[in-house]
Amino acid sequence: MTDHIISVKNLSHTYQSGPLQKAALIDITMEIERGSCAAIIGITGSGKSTLVQHFNGLLRPTSGTVAVDGVNVQARGGDLKVLRQRVGMLFQFPEAQLFEHTVYADVAFGPRRLKLSKREVRTRVLQALETVGLPPHTYAQRSPFELSGGQRRRVALAGVLAMLPKILVLDEPTTGLDADGRTEFYYYLQRVQQKDGVTVILVSHDMSEVATLADQLFVLHNGRLVMQGTPRAIFGQGNILHQWGLTEPPLSELLIQLHKQGLAIPLDVFTLEEALHALQEIETTRHEKENV
Amino acid sequence: MNASPLIDIQQITYTYPLQNKGKSKAQSPKALQNVSLQIQPGEYLAVLGHNGSGKSTLARHCNALLIPDSGRVLVKGLDTSNKADQRAIRDCVGMIFQNPDNQIIATVVEDDVAWALAVRGLPVNLIAERVEQAMNAVSISHLRKLPPHHLSGGQKQRLAIAGVLALRPQCIIADEATSQLDPLSRREITALLHQLNQDLGLTIIHVTHLLEEAALAQRVVIMEQGHIVMEGTPSTIFTDIERLRQLKLAIPEPIELVSRLRAAGLTLSREALTVDAIVREIVR
Repeated sequence: MTDHIISVKNLSHTYQSGPLQKAALIDITMEIERGSCAAIIGITGSGKSTLVQHFNGLLRPTSGTVAVDGVNVQARGGDLKVLRQRVGMLFQFPEAQLFEHTVYADVAFGPRRLKLSKREVRTRVLQALETVGLPPHTYAQRSPFELSGGQRRRVALAGVLAMLPKILVLDEPTTGLDADGRTEFYYYLQRVQQKDGVTVILVSHDMSEVATLADQLFVLHNGRLVMQGTPRAIFGQGNILHQWGLTEPPLSELLIQLHKQGLAIPLDVFTLEEALHALQEIETTRHEKENV
Repeated sequence: MNASPLIDIQQITYTYPLQNKGKSKAQSPKALQNVSLQIQPGEYLAVLGHNGSGKSTLARHCNALLIPDSGRVLVKGLDTSNKADQRAIRDCVGMIFQNPDNQIIATVVEDDVAWALAVRGLPVNLIAERVEQAMNAVSISHLRKLPPHHLSGGQKQRLAIAGVLALRPQCIIADEATSQLDPLSRREITALLHQLNQDLGLTIIHVTHLLEEAALAQRVVIMEQGHIVMEGTPSTIFTDIERLRQLKLAIPEPIELVSRLRAAGLTLSREALTVDAIVREIVR
């Protein structure tokens, strides 16, 4: 039996500003498995951020239900404080929120407010820094502002991890990072997911990123959930994402076009290695035919 | 080599001034070190590099936003350090930035395109004509009456380009102008820059950290630690994947695939750099 850490049933959310109403989410039903990495994709204004803000109770449903690790987020009532500890959120450009003099103090900021013992705070901070690849003996006493962009972003991630969340929501986590910064960030993120069993929810429009990290994709458009499935299944369906203003990752795009041109490439080919293998096979067959 | 480059960068060095004066003795590192580069009229140049490599600093020297500590930059023969010429230089070399919101001023699209012209006191009928042409060139005429905050990211960036185009520059610098856009708008803006180069003969300097955006350029320079470390056509630059990786550039998977296929003995043209070109090359 699968264990759903988040289940959303018929969720609708309407923003009310004065006399104006805007339906931001319309009748969304979805489930996210514990320990998995789920990606929520869609263009600007599709409802991604509105959806994930229900996961830690920043927003409440206008109608429908959201259950997060056994806690119900309802239209009103219920203690959502516990949820905010269980669900860590990393917003876009999180390094802009760093403010302390040392890396240690910045990561300790959250846990200190939980009224934990000094020792517990220390253990958590050291562990979190270790997890994101910033060994405390080198980095703890440095100023976050003298680190590289990628390292600063990992300090922000450590700050969220020190709260020991069960669910980690990341909004466009690698925007603005260069190739190295990205690769490192992915590595440590996957480590968090595997080592600590944290469920990761990724909000992104970088399809290569989503293809690398996610087990399950949820496509939002105009507030509706229009598609869900594994990256392999979704990116294998041709240019289906274009109608929602999205593109498949460049490699899938290449393979889809080759397929359209009549090359015998299976559509569920997905990684570079698989593509290489398939194309070499086609080439060999071509040669054999020519030699016959 | 062409006799008179549009932009002539001669051995420039630049260091950003320190923020906390006096306190710290540490000298901030040189952002540009002895860089020379000539950009010809009508050229489409891509400047590549990872964060902090000096590519934006270089771009900002091309229209007198920054003045070199040593060496000099000539735009159409005018020295950027000469204050009296800076207005003429900026009219000749326009710039668009990462975040279009920083560049939009007026409350309606067509007014925004007209802004710089109105400030310069041009006659009304001339302004109207130029605004019309600029909006047509970037296909935003149908949005003319909208307030800018109703536009999508890609449309806003088009608007920023139109505002620059209305001044009739000879060169447009796009400084990471696609990096805050979603993938489809990113492609559209790259295609638009290419089209402006082809149709209007505009010189384009496209500053980016994305290899795939440099594929359509005529020439690519790659920056690292304030130096130009590689220079050539995209087809020569893209063949040395290991070197590009060392320079912290992300290799697009299609490019990597082609390189691996070639290593496995397939003959594939070096000109195959975009998805479409690669498809044609493999199917052939």
